[in-house]
Amino acid sequence: MSDRKKASLLVVVIDTNPVWWGQRLVDQPDKSLTQFLDSIMVFTNSHLMMNHRNKLAVIAAHTNQSCFLYPRAESREAAGGGEPGGAAGAHDGKYELFAQVNEQVMEEVKNLILTSLEGHSETDSLLAGALAMSLCYIHRCEKESFTGEDLSSRILIIKGSEDNPAQYMNFMNAVFTAQKQNVTIDACILDNDSGLLQQACDITGGVYLKIPQPSGLLQYLLWVFLPDPTLRLKLTLPPKAQVDYRAACFCHRNLIDIGYVCSVCLSIFCSFSPICSTCQTTFKFMGLPKIAKKKQKKLNP
Amino acid sequence: MASTLSGITSGRKIDCKDLHSYLRTLSASILDKLYNHPATCLAVFRELPELAKHYVLRLLFIEQPISQSVVSLWVDNKCHSEHQEVVHVLTDIRVWQEQPLPGGMQGWILSPTFRQNLKIALLGGGHSWTGRSHLPPDKYAKDIAFLDKYAMERWECILHFMVGSTEGTAGVSRDIIQVLLNAGLMKESSSDPLPTISPTGFQFLLMDTALQVWFFMLQYLEMAESKGLNLVDCLSFLFQLSFSTLGKDYSADGMNETQLKFLQHLREFGLVYQRKRKVMRYYPTRLAINLASGISSVNSTPHAHGCIIVETNYRVYAYTESPLLIALIALFCEMLYRFPNMAVANLSRESVRDALARGITAEQIINFLRTHAHPETYKVGQVIPTTIMDQIRLWELERDRFKFTEGVLYSQFLSQSDFELLRDYAQDLGVLVWDNPSKRVMVVSRAGHDDVKKFWKRQKAGNT
Amino acid sequence: MAEDDEKGYRWETEYEKSWEELTEDAAGLLQASVDEIALKAKRRKLLDKLGNIRLGMMRHLYIIIDMSAAMEDQDLKPTRLHSTLKLLENFIEEYFDQNPISQLGIITTRNKRAEKVTELGGNPRRHISAVKALVTRSCQGEPSLQNSLELALQTLRHMPSHASREILILFASLTTCDPGNIKETVKLLKENNISCSIIGLAAEVRICKKLCHDTNGRYGVILDETHYKDLLAQHITPPPATVSTESSLIRMGFPHHQLGSDKNGHEKPSMCMCHLDSKSTQGFSSTGYFCPQCKSKYCELPIECKACGLTLVSAPHLARSYHHLFPLEAFHEMPVAQLDPSVSRVCHSCQAQLPESNVYVCGKCQHIFCIDCDLFVHETLHTCPGCASSRATQMSHMSL
Repeated sequence: MSDRKKASLLVVVIDTNPVWWGQRLVDQPDKSLTQFLDSIMVFTNSHLMMNHRNKLAVIAAHTNQSCFLYPRAESREAAGGGEPGGAAGAHDGKYELFAQVNEQVMEEVKNLILTSLEGHSETDSLLAGALAMSLCYIHRCEKESFTGEDLSSRILIIKGSEDNPAQYMNFMNAVFTAQKQNVTIDACILDNDSGLLQQACDITGGVYLKIPQPSGLLQYLLWVFLPDPTLRLKLTLPPKAQVDYRAACFCHRNLIDIGYVCSVCLSIFCSFSPICSTCQTTFKFMGLPKIAKKKQKKLNP
Repeated sequence: MASTLSGITSGRKIDCKDLHSYLRTLSASILDKLYNHPATCLAVFRELPELAKHYVLRLLFIEQPISQSVVSLWVDNKCHSEHQEVVHVLTDIRVWQEQPLPGGMQGWILSPTFRQNLKIALLGGGHSWTGRSHLPPDKYAKDIAFLDKYAMERWECILHFMVGSTEGTAGVSRDIIQVLLNAGLMKESSSDPLPTISPTGFQFLLMDTALQVWFFMLQYLEMAESKGLNLVDCLSFLFQLSFSTLGKDYSADGMNETQLKFLQHLREFGLVYQRKRKVMRYYPTRLAINLASGISSVNSTPHAHGCIIVETNYRVYAYTESPLLIALIALFCEMLYRFPNMAVANLSRESVRDALARGITAEQIINFLRTHAHPETYKVGQVIPTTIMDQIRLWELERDRFKFTEGVLYSQFLSQSDFELLRDYAQDLGVLVWDNPSKRVMVVSRAGHDDVKKFWKRQKAGNT
Repeated sequence: MAEDDEKGYRWETEYEKSWEELTEDAAGLLQASVDEIALKAKRRKLLDKLGNIRLGMMRHLYIIIDMSAAMEDQDLKPTRLHSTLKLLENFIEEYFDQNPISQLGIITTRNKRAEKVTELGGNPRRHISAVKALVTRSCQGEPSLQNSLELALQTLRHMPSHASREILILFASLTTCDPGNIKETVKLLKENNISCSIIGLAAEVRICKKLCHDTNGRYGVILDETHYKDLLAQHITPPPATVSTESSLIRMGFPHHQLGSDKNGHEKPSMCMCHLDSKSTQGFSSTGYFCPQCKSKYCELPIECKACGLTLVSAPHLARSYHHLFPLEAFHEMPVAQLDPSVSRVCHSCQAQLPESNVYVCGKCQHIFCIDCDLFVHETLHTCPGCASSRATQMSHMSL
């Protein structure tokens, strides 16, 4: 047996987009955010139950901010005073730590929704920010973890709302960082398929799953997302989906097979234009005929 | 997973069971009663093999039995043996049971009490673990530092008593001595009014604190049961303690007679802090909370405050002032110098052999050095130099140079030919152990003695 | 480089009392002070990076490895050659990671000759295996700077004008044996807009310095193995584009991973183009990346199609180098005392309690960070967690 103790840090990113959840409430009044949160709480409790060294963080990706739900920042906890968890632990048979976590998350979600009532809401959530924050948090935990301890970290994203192409660069930066830091990104999709997350999961070796029946969320979470990546090799899990790595051009957002890439800023365009719309470089017209000639030569014989 | 502690298995070595081997010794009815408390279920669940944990969680919300063949399809084919092992463990400690499906196939279903209580721990509901009433804030609230100090003082008191040092022996009650005697950690001698430490006791001292507590509690429970304390009540309470929050106070209201008595004992061991006997409020200490980690760790966790550095030149540096730790190091080292905040010792052949003669094994010494290693050594990558580990093991092997074989000596042959005849016969049978033609002596193994004797008698009869 | 010339040699400068920067903390330890200096140095390095310059993203780099007898020296362990090749393997991987649309080739020089080991190409595995194979080759004679430069020049001069042409020389010898006047070669390199950089393993050599200076390259002499690694690492990030580099649109293919099938839609396994020459069955499967232009199959990206010459990449490959183009602005350092007392003193991204000393503030989103996060964000993440989690600032720098 090795000297090192295994611990696992799970960061759950929950999409709390009010627009999407609001719409769901109209369609199916019995499937509210609260019920989903309940399922997620059972899942996080299960993760903590697996091993007493396991750690947890929950981050909300909201429409106009992303913030930590758990652990709550230390200073605020001190300011809050008292022990909200203590009271919760006393009134039923739930394990104290679980009760404390759940209560904190619920309270923070409430705060989040109450504070963001005003202002304009978009239909997508700020996932890239939440991812960046999780990676910073993981970075800190790995740094702080005791030298003899082996901390493996992963991120689970539970998402319903749509992708936003504007986040592309931030999102991809976060994904490459995750790959570098050996952090697996899993995605549990409630509604809209997400091309970004498909790529993220494929690059970091995580599981991407669009769940066919959102009401069974808990079972999907427990079956597919609870086992950590090393154990997954031993279990039979849904096969990996084909990922579409085609690029979307910057001009029309179309998916393209062959495109033109600006040699200065690497912007992708679907057709030739003399000036790059991103970096305003004027292109020499030489490049095109040369390649075209080459292509003809190869295709003819 | 399901074996006794590595390296301490053979006869004279200390036998410390992990949670599962302990549970296996309990009868089915006690097990079912034990699972009546969420804390026990939680503790048992945590000690399951990784794969088994996922099995349990997958079955947790399914009320009907699941076909065994379906369950075996959950894992990849390559891990079939692991699956078998998991099935075995889960059945052994009655977490799940076999139940026939309507179609005649066998299925698995979680034990109802286990399912119920694990669900409570996970989801809530049911009764609160501790007293019903909500505690008002404690006027005499204690912080974590105080609790740590208190717990360590109490526990070291017991260890001091074992090594026979004068510090704190006054705090050791008759009950503790009884447990120590029962466990065979100490033995009573006629010459001394106080019991003295036994070889197993030395081994005990070198164990990790969490493991020590767990071993001690097991011995205590064994004794408590014979005294009529309710084992289930005690165990449930113990597990409940291990899942409580450090630095928080809990109410002792609503505890039954057994548990209150048990609480007093735990207070004595330093597992809980209670200001006065009558105050119905207690604080669990780190000793109790770390119990959960002590149960499983075969190789115990490294200390956060380790202080020992071992160098390749056999020097041992211990940055500590604790007389206990220094006394422990002195068990297998030659102490050289003491400084205000550190001690220097030397690992020598003699000192290690002395320790081995006391019944301590090489593996225990290495394990002790490893668990108390200074955090800096982890950064270097090699906690103890390999040469040192090998040398300690070699010193142990040195003691095993003799191989004893029972045998019968044949001597005083009248002629060389007689000797050779008998020796060749014994050799052909493969029972000859040793021979010396010049002195005409040979040794035959016990098993071959009868045959050789008969042959000699026949020979003698034939000659005369 | 011009700066370097003025600075002169280190031994000519004033006596430096470097130890005076160290101060003991309350416990009489130096560690905290040492850590702080290390962190500060890292930050300074980050601040040196300039944003908003045009970079030569499409690089064509020849690495020239000195394989002369001087490479056998054991001042790097186990030998200069082993150490170099090991670092080089790492370098190649990182190079392609950070410069997805660039190419690389390897040349060795020994016995007064130059030899091309690999042609310019975009497949890291091919180069790495070539580098690994070099370990068994013996180092002999003297190197020839001129011969190897000429060899590289032959290929590089034909590269498209929008690409940045570079040569990196790992030079162990203190001498070079050239057939002609090397200054002519230097002039030629300069005319062809090829920048030469040299990492010296022994000591500074005048001709090397001149070569680098004239061609706008960097010249460095290693102090030890870590310094060697640092010097190599400097060549991973794309260099600023020179004025004469032209820009153009490059046609590229974005194949997606799919199942090969015949007209009836039946699955049809086939050999991929990258493993055609190998004897093993590796590369024979039914899935792969198909060139959108000529339908040749490849098992990995990025690659240049062998049949039609189209560069095949996937979108994430391009995304990997965006952070060079849109670097994250440095955060401002600020003493804690200056903070608004109403703001919670917690790092925005990792929730750690902020220390007593300095905090780091993002100029865009005004969130505060601890020094660990500041370094992590700038070195690895390249995205400000604060900006990315606010709608106003998430689209920060899409224009140069």
